[in-house]
Amino acid sequence: MSTVETPAASSNEAPPPSPLRRVASFAANQQFILFLVLVGVMVFFDFHNSRFFGTSEFTNLLVDFSEAVLIAGAEMYVISSGGIDLSVGSTIAVSTVVGAYAIQYLEGHHFGEFPSLLLGTFACAGVGAMVWVINALLITKARLVPFVATLVTLSMGEGLALVFSKGGTVGYDPAAAVWSSTGFWIFRWLTLMVLTVTVVLGLVLHFTRYGRYNFAIGSNPFAARAAGINVNRHVASVYVLSGVLAGLTGMIWYFNTSGGAPQNGIGNELEAIAAVVIGGVSLFGGSGRFTGIILGVAILTVVHDGLVFINIATTWNEVVVAGFIALAAVLQSMRPGTKRLM
Amino acid sequence: MTIQSEPVLELRNINKSYGSVKALTDVSFKAFAGEVIGLVGDNGAGKSSLIKTISGAHNPDSGEMIVDGVARHWKSPHDSMMAGIETLYQDSGLAPDLTIGSNIFLGRELEKKGILGKFGFLDQKSMERRALDELEKVGITVPLSRRTVSQLSGGQRQAVAVGRAAMWAKHVIILDEPTNHLGARQSLEVLKVITAARDQGLCVLFISHTLPHVLEVTDRIIVLRLGRVVKDAPTTEFTVESLLGTITGLNT
Repeated sequence: MSTVETPAASSNEAPPPSPLRRVASFAANQQFILFLVLVGVMVFFDFHNSRFFGTSEFTNLLVDFSEAVLIAGAEMYVISSGGIDLSVGSTIAVSTVVGAYAIQYLEGHHFGEFPSLLLGTFACAGVGAMVWVINALLITKARLVPFVATLVTLSMGEGLALVFSKGGTVGYDPAAAVWSSTGFWIFRWLTLMVLTVTVVLGLVLHFTRYGRYNFAIGSNPFAARAAGINVNRHVASVYVLSGVLAGLTGMIWYFNTSGGAPQNGIGNELEAIAAVVIGGVSLFGGSGRFTGIILGVAILTVVHDGLVFINIATTWNEVVVAGFIALAAVLQSMRPGTKRLM
Repeated sequence: MTIQSEPVLELRNINKSYGSVKALTDVSFKAFAGEVIGLVGDNGAGKSSLIKTISGAHNPDSGEMIVDGVARHWKSPHDSMMAGIETLYQDSGLAPDLTIGSNIFLGRELEKKGILGKFGFLDQKSMERRALDELEKVGITVPLSRRTVSQLSGGQRQAVAVGRAAMWAKHVIILDEPTNHLGARQSLEVLKVITAARDQGLCVLFISHTLPHVLEVTDRIIVLRLGRVVKDAPTTEFTVESLLGTITGLNT
């Protein structure tokens, strides 16, 4: 989804930046505003319940954060390359179920705890990769628009997760639960791993050739192709990356819930897209900052957990999230140089 | 303008058909370094087929193409780029969300030295700096290289796109309707870059429907009609009326 800009549409001279404008543009910087919002929300919750800033609550926050941040990162890659991905949530479900079966089987055959969990993780990532190979083929070979292609895999994933698991939770793995609750200070080991992967994703997107091509393709695929970039190969690789990340998230769910349930992660694609929108990433592709989606995920996580703390029913969560999305979208449309449809 | 004895690009009897439709018939011409050649013709005259042949987007059915003294055959547009021919298509242009420097180096990014470069990390500072230097050589001064292309005016954008082609081409740049959709003053910016590229010793193939621009910037004009070269003459021999007559076939 990119717009090839006709020069006539914007033939006015670019205005020179004045000092006032610079101050204004810094204040209007979405990252800066998001950061203020995040701090504001946290202070608000702490004001209403002083336990919010406690160690155990922060540990939980980071666990919830790590369940969401990888698929938001995946969504960021896909959206900034000009696509959209609806199937991250259901891929979590399939991979968590398959991973649980794999671990059950391996432990049943005396593989030992650690190798079983490790191989289970690979199984999850593998399932994710397979789902996204389907996506990649549907998009680059069958030429479906990403929305439809990933809608296909969304339904397929949800269905297969139920079929494979026969509707119930697969495996119960206290060992995984024990391991996943260890760590140091507010960090669990799993959280630290996720944070490391997140940092790598951000660096790759903004500082390497791969990330550059991602934005170039999202901005103008014709220009990217003319510059010698293999657009199809890149787009396919982005969906595979996204699948692997969703598969790994499936494993995180397995650890955190000590089993593979077919409802794990269902609907999370909307949360990921919400984080991307709140983070100020253009849904037309081509632009956005990775720090934005990290802040977006952080805000959503804090709001989600914080509502419980101030005794508001979690059912209100979605409504509050809607408010944040609206706010972020309005901010983005006020930014200079934003592509508009009307 | 000095015309060298050896052509930098020569086509000999190029033929191309799409099924039963003959798009190009025995097209031959020579192009020299340091000249701007206007390529004009009505819709369906074969302009697009011709530039696609030269840029490697497709292959001719028969005929020879000699670039810098060597007979060449393209397998892909990448081959022609490697041989020093840059093509700016109407729909390609630039990626509006990337900075000017990133656009100039798109597909040819500079990597950081050392271990980071091995992992694909880019040397953005060098790219931005070199982009400014190179653009200045063809007479483009852009306010800030850190700006994204979407922040430039239409004329500046197109000038940067032409400048990009001029920077990377060793021999020939092909410009397909570079002044389309531009106002008078903005077109002038683009035409200035074309002249600067020629003065640097490049051969420019300028495809346009805007005949006053063709007459203003070119040294020689090649007129195509129904897939054949019907006239190849210095620009000084044409007026808008006579050029229009040759394109439509009213006078020959």
